[in-house]
Amino acid sequence: MIETLEKSLHGAGSTPVNIVVAHALEAKALIPMLHLQPFDTTSRFVQYGNSNNLHLIVSGIGRAAMEAAITDLSQQQANEEGQIRAWLNIGIAGHSQAPLGGAWLGNKITCQVSGVSAYPPQLIAHIDSGAVITVDEPERTYPEDAAYEMEAFSFFEQATKYSTAELVQVFKIISDNLENPIEKLDFKNVPNWIGLQQEQIILLISKMSSLVGEYNDSNRIPEVYRDLCSRMHLTVNQKLQLRRLCLRYKALGLESDLESVISLAGSHSKKVISQLSAQIDRVGKQ
Amino acid sequence: MFSTIYIEEEVLETSRVKKMLDRFPQVPRVVCERYGEVFNRKSQNFRLQKKAPALILAKKYGSKVLAAPDGYGYNDSRSYYFSHMLNCVYDCRYCFLQGMYSSANYVLFVNYEDFEEAIASKIEENSGGGVYYSGYDCDSLALEPVSDFCKHFVPLFGEYPNAELEIRTKSTQIRHLLEQPVIPNCVIAMSFTSHEAGARWEHKVPSIDKRLEALQKLQLAGWRVALRFEPLILDSLGLTPYENLFAQVFAKLDAKKIHSVSSGLFRMPIDFHKRIVKLYPDEELFARPTTTADGMIALKSEDESLQLAAIEKILFSHVSPQQYYRCG
Repeated sequence: MIETLEKSLHGAGSTPVNIVVAHALEAKALIPMLHLQPFDTTSRFVQYGNSNNLHLIVSGIGRAAMEAAITDLSQQQANEEGQIRAWLNIGIAGHSQAPLGGAWLGNKITCQVSGVSAYPPQLIAHIDSGAVITVDEPERTYPEDAAYEMEAFSFFEQATKYSTAELVQVFKIISDNLENPIEKLDFKNVPNWIGLQQEQIILLISKMSSLVGEYNDSNRIPEVYRDLCSRMHLTVNQKLQLRRLCLRYKALGLESDLESVISLAGSHSKKVISQLSAQIDRVGKQ
Repeated sequence: MFSTIYIEEEVLETSRVKKMLDRFPQVPRVVCERYGEVFNRKSQNFRLQKKAPALILAKKYGSKVLAAPDGYGYNDSRSYYFSHMLNCVYDCRYCFLQGMYSSANYVLFVNYEDFEEAIASKIEENSGGGVYYSGYDCDSLALEPVSDFCKHFVPLFGEYPNAELEIRTKSTQIRHLLEQPVIPNCVIAMSFTSHEAGARWEHKVPSIDKRLEALQKLQLAGWRVALRFEPLILDSLGLTPYENLFAQVFAKLDAKKIHSVSSGLFRMPIDFHKRIVKLYPDEELFARPTTTADGMIALKSEDESLQLAAIEKILFSHVSPQQYYRCG
């Protein structure tokens, strides 16, 4: 099954998922695993992508770097069609006893500085989940049963400004513990530990991709909306009205009628909107 | 059954919570401070969460027994509702809960004793009377195997024979009711829509046959049962779906013994509707033309009142007008 999922990540379908890592070494394992290529951009953040819409950005370490990278990427990907992307933070973390290379999805992310917690909704089954604590300085004693790291809380808070919480997830891979303290961490092992989680990572991306795909499909605006926006001057309010009307035609199975109603209304924006409104009120009544 | 169980720190060590958790050893548990951190957070999507809802075990603070909304009840007595749970295990597309809450997770308030105290106090305030609805913010029975709701709340009304409890549900979880003595002032009100509407808009809801079977068992055991035909969503199929539904229902139940029957058209607060439209832009029901009045939205229909009257006429061939009320 995992081979099929893996193929789907670089096959014909779309995978509108952004992966955010703090360190280039974390990206190193993911690039071949996910068939990513360097992404040409003017952004100050290193990015990778594939033709299938999967994207990876290297944020740098710490909360501020993470926030900046997400803001940058979301501006780069902004669209007017209401299409969103899933966001996945993959990174290393420490835990008192968990074995190196072990991993879990964050179901509670606490900012150690503020004490505030966030709870990413857990829609994806068959992946272990656990607590994550975001710290500003590396943690050496790991007092709680949680993965200690430096970006997850900011990642979740920032990414949920551009997507819905169900589609923002944090996956932490254990790189240090009491027996293998952070001072002795050999960074060369990071790609190996991430590689060990290949199956889980692919499953996660694949499920997130399917959820975001479903969301975007239901919010897909008929093509004619974009045509009209480029053809005539529309105020912000008119664009909203037109968008809703196009979606209503689609929901009522009348998408194919849009063109003919619009062509009858001519090129005046007010007339187009009133004509579309009048027609749907006539036809939509049961 | 649940993707995750969130537990408020305050109730974590209570025996009720421990018992509930014992039922689900495999479900991941997350301790939170207050349920609102999980339930009321912004940037959540009710529709996506419905795919794998979580259970939140919490303690209810503040008012526990509230005045019922206008038009909710079946008589002029003082009416109240209480919600030991928020959200429903079923997924009915027309349901207002989708627009009311930002999360589809189920919140179960486990401080039943506080609810009981609040209900008893309200009953005493009303000289031993009043009507008390359960099932406004949830389905009262659907989570019965986990919540033991009936075991706790129904006997309380046995102590107040002049107060009435209505348990509104679409569930067939009636085992606990059948195992306890009948409380004459407790009414189990089952909701129905037509087969066609159910197939289109109700997901995970027990079939009409199963619900009728449950009602019949309750009726035979001596419980009072009621019928709620709502929301009525009128469409091009006309009256036939309702004729068929009523024929099926009244073939199974003793109409004379039915406590009450109600019907009500599809209505929803405008704000809830707006939120639901955003969640389901592809849903035909929410793309239909609508009208608004008094803060409520309704489907636009020229002959709505005529059709409703025609449906009532069919109903009156089965039950007496005295048993009937129009909701909303």
